[in-house]
Amino acid sequence: MAKKKQKAKTENPYIPKPYKVLEYYRETDDNFTITINMKVKHDPGQFVQLSLPGFGEAPISICSDSEEYIKLNIREVGTVTKALGNLKKGDTLLVRGPYGRGYPMQYLTGNNVLIIGGGCGVAPLKGIIDYVENHRDDFKEVMLFLGYRSPNDVLFKRELEEWRNKYHLQVTVDEEAHGEMCYDAKHGFVTDVLRSTPINNENKIVFVCGPPIMMKYVIEVLKEKGFNDKQIFLSAERLMYCAMGVCCHCMIKGKFTCVDGPVFRYDEMKELSDE
Amino acid sequence: MSKKNTSAKSEKLNVGVYGITGCAGCQLSLIFNEDEILDVVNLVNLKAFPFIKEVNIDEQFDCVILEGLVADKGDLETVKKLRKNTKMLVSLGACACTGCVPAYRHFTLKENYEHLLYKKMEEIEDVDPTPIDEHVQVDYYIPGCPPDKKEIITFIKSVAKGIVPRPYQSPVCVECRRNGNTCLLDSGKPCLGPITTGGCDSVCINGGFECWGCRGPTKDMNLDLMIKMLRDRGFDDKFIQDRMRTFVGLKLPMLEKVMKPGEKPDKLQTQFYGEKIYYG
Amino acid sequence: MEKKRLNEFLLQLSKSYELIAPVKTDVVRFERVKNPETIHLEKNAYFPLKEYFFKKEEVLFTFTGNKIQETTLSSPKRAFFGIRKCDLNAIHHQDIVFMKDTQDPYYIAQRKNSLLLGYHCPSAPSPYCFCGSLDLIDFFDLMFYDKEDHFLVEVGSEKGKKLAEKYGKLFSPSTRLMTQADKVIPGADRLDKKDISAFYDHKDWKKGADICLSCGACTALCPTCYCFEIHDEVKAENVNKGERKRSWSSCQLQEFTRVAGDHVFREDREERFKHRIYHQLEYFKEKYGVQMCVGCGRCIDGCPTRIDFVDIINKMEHGKEETESKN
Repeated sequence: MAKKKQKAKTENPYIPKPYKVLEYYRETDDNFTITINMKVKHDPGQFVQLSLPGFGEAPISICSDSEEYIKLNIREVGTVTKALGNLKKGDTLLVRGPYGRGYPMQYLTGNNVLIIGGGCGVAPLKGIIDYVENHRDDFKEVMLFLGYRSPNDVLFKRELEEWRNKYHLQVTVDEEAHGEMCYDAKHGFVTDVLRSTPINNENKIVFVCGPPIMMKYVIEVLKEKGFNDKQIFLSAERLMYCAMGVCCHCMIKGKFTCVDGPVFRYDEMKELSDE
Repeated sequence: MSKKNTSAKSEKLNVGVYGITGCAGCQLSLIFNEDEILDVVNLVNLKAFPFIKEVNIDEQFDCVILEGLVADKGDLETVKKLRKNTKMLVSLGACACTGCVPAYRHFTLKENYEHLLYKKMEEIEDVDPTPIDEHVQVDYYIPGCPPDKKEIITFIKSVAKGIVPRPYQSPVCVECRRNGNTCLLDSGKPCLGPITTGGCDSVCINGGFECWGCRGPTKDMNLDLMIKMLRDRGFDDKFIQDRMRTFVGLKLPMLEKVMKPGEKPDKLQTQFYGEKIYYG
Repeated sequence: MEKKRLNEFLLQLSKSYELIAPVKTDVVRFERVKNPETIHLEKNAYFPLKEYFFKKEEVLFTFTGNKIQETTLSSPKRAFFGIRKCDLNAIHHQDIVFMKDTQDPYYIAQRKNSLLLGYHCPSAPSPYCFCGSLDLIDFFDLMFYDKEDHFLVEVGSEKGKKLAEKYGKLFSPSTRLMTQADKVIPGADRLDKKDISAFYDHKDWKKGADICLSCGACTALCPTCYCFEIHDEVKAENVNKGERKRSWSSCQLQEFTRVAGDHVFREDREERFKHRIYHQLEYFKEKYGVQMCVGCGRCIDGCPTRIDFVDIINKMEHGKEETESKN
């Protein structure tokens, strides 16, 4: 029996690399943001596979725009994300990526930017906000509509004031506030505020991310306001393992969320949507 | 190594393994992990395991793994006490999860089993034989008769690491095909694999024996089709009903499909792994 | 090559290779063969070859805390004999998946040292075969055509050529040119419509889903299905040590798309059934330019209820004509 030991010539794509947690910030009871020292060029909307050996891997979208570090906003829902929640500044975690097709920002310059997010769907959109800030001259007016379930669920509180000063910002909460609110938020759905705001589709691109039901109604409102499919960009969520278009778990019809997405333009998404 | 020992000492999980009415086979399944059982003893603080331990401290558990079903007042007291003393209660084995064979009594008339009862009944205060979650809240289920020994170890390892493992929810067939078996339904055997939750590594079928459904129905089962397939293979409704009830009768919903009128058990409210199902 | 020479050839080959060929046990399976006499060529293997290259379960790496230890990847030199055209193409399709866009070191390690020796079906070995309806290619090192008293052997690669030269004594040269007629497999063209894009909303997919147990046999037996999942396993001696493994999974299960929070994206049985067929016949082609399905019929033969998707598609196709002619 002839055995040949052979080292993989190319890099093994399944092996993650270690990075350090530079900052850990708790946003809400079940949500936190970490900054890690991963220096990598990436588009907003792309994601990385975070792993803690023994717990597993989880795809998390990048919510910053820098080549010096990446920020990740994580909601504690599963085994891995809960374990990630126990990290501290200085801890090591393993990462592979970035993966996926992000928002094609360089092709969208010269437009007004409309950002509509719901819950932890705001995370990938924050990547766009940072990108726009870093390329402020390339974009015109920026409008933000961010909806959360309750005042306790509002994310990126540290950044909200800055956004309010620079952009047109509207924050909504589904449930009414019981205690004090340290920021200005309206009671109601993000769709209500969007509907009552006078906006037309001229020179605008829209980025939507949030729970499927929220995205559905947001698109309805956008359609009422005359937006066409090609102006709207959405982000999809699926179970995924490999993130390289192989394992097939994230397939939506023939498209792989991990390679062809997670960002889809609405005209592409529409073809996939009846699943 | 030394670091691990010092840090683990204080953080070790307090675990208890108990049995109520049952055959103790499930506790044996844990012990049958010869290669790993000593590691497990080191991994957690095995506070109580009356089946193999002489000294047992029965309070303040993080996790209690409980075998057997509630069949008398004593069991009921034990279950309630353990529930109070633990953060997490785990049903181990088919009796604890679904009632298994002892609960079969629900499906037959008393005169059929009367002659089997103990002659002296004074000391036994009979309770309707029922799985643990009929009486107290259960946090996790390790089903099977007997349960898969590896699954028990995996569970303990995971909990020690701070994870509650995702229960296996695919049918037996998935592992069965992976193990290179041909389908026993093709050879006319009444295999319940397609509607039964796997995780057992299809151990019965590997040995040429059809699945009796001891790990309980899958959430996604196609029960109508399963019944039709068994009928097509010449099995009558009585047989199908008996076979399906053997291990999981109390937890298998919609059995009225194969039950003839008059054979129905008394109205019984039961849980199907968290979801309330009513039948009867 | 004379027929009696075949066993001699295989025997000699098995001195330097692990010989793996179909053998009849309870069913026909690909197994390690010591004695070529035991090889069974009447029927195709019930189980596909894929487990030899794309393993049912394998360790991606081991870890101690955050330190990763790569596994040593190796495979013995193996010669596979008696592979049908469908299975050869299936290997080709898996090569595309694991060796084209992403270089999968685990697959490559298993695949690298292998010889593919085909056996051309004289006629369709199973009533469910439909390879002839699909665009299969020649993909082999050597292909053995069964011609009554002899085998016509076609060389399909540089590797195969070298092999034939090495064992030249056993082969006799032939001047005969392979014709299209040689390559046809009679009785294997039952799929009448391979472009099913127009049928996506057809109501008859339900017919297949209604008799589906969601047992996943079709995907396990499929020679091309390549979905997998990844999970970690820790050791009892130290829960910081363990391994990351990948194992086969099946799109026919709800588990396939279940995310944290217990949401299942493809919950409906019909959607799952349809997804499998469309991945086989449409989606794979969109991505890689070739249909994934190779027409071996195993998913039908191995299905407990014999869901015949070929029949379902054929009926959609002919049903369409009927309604058209009625109008």
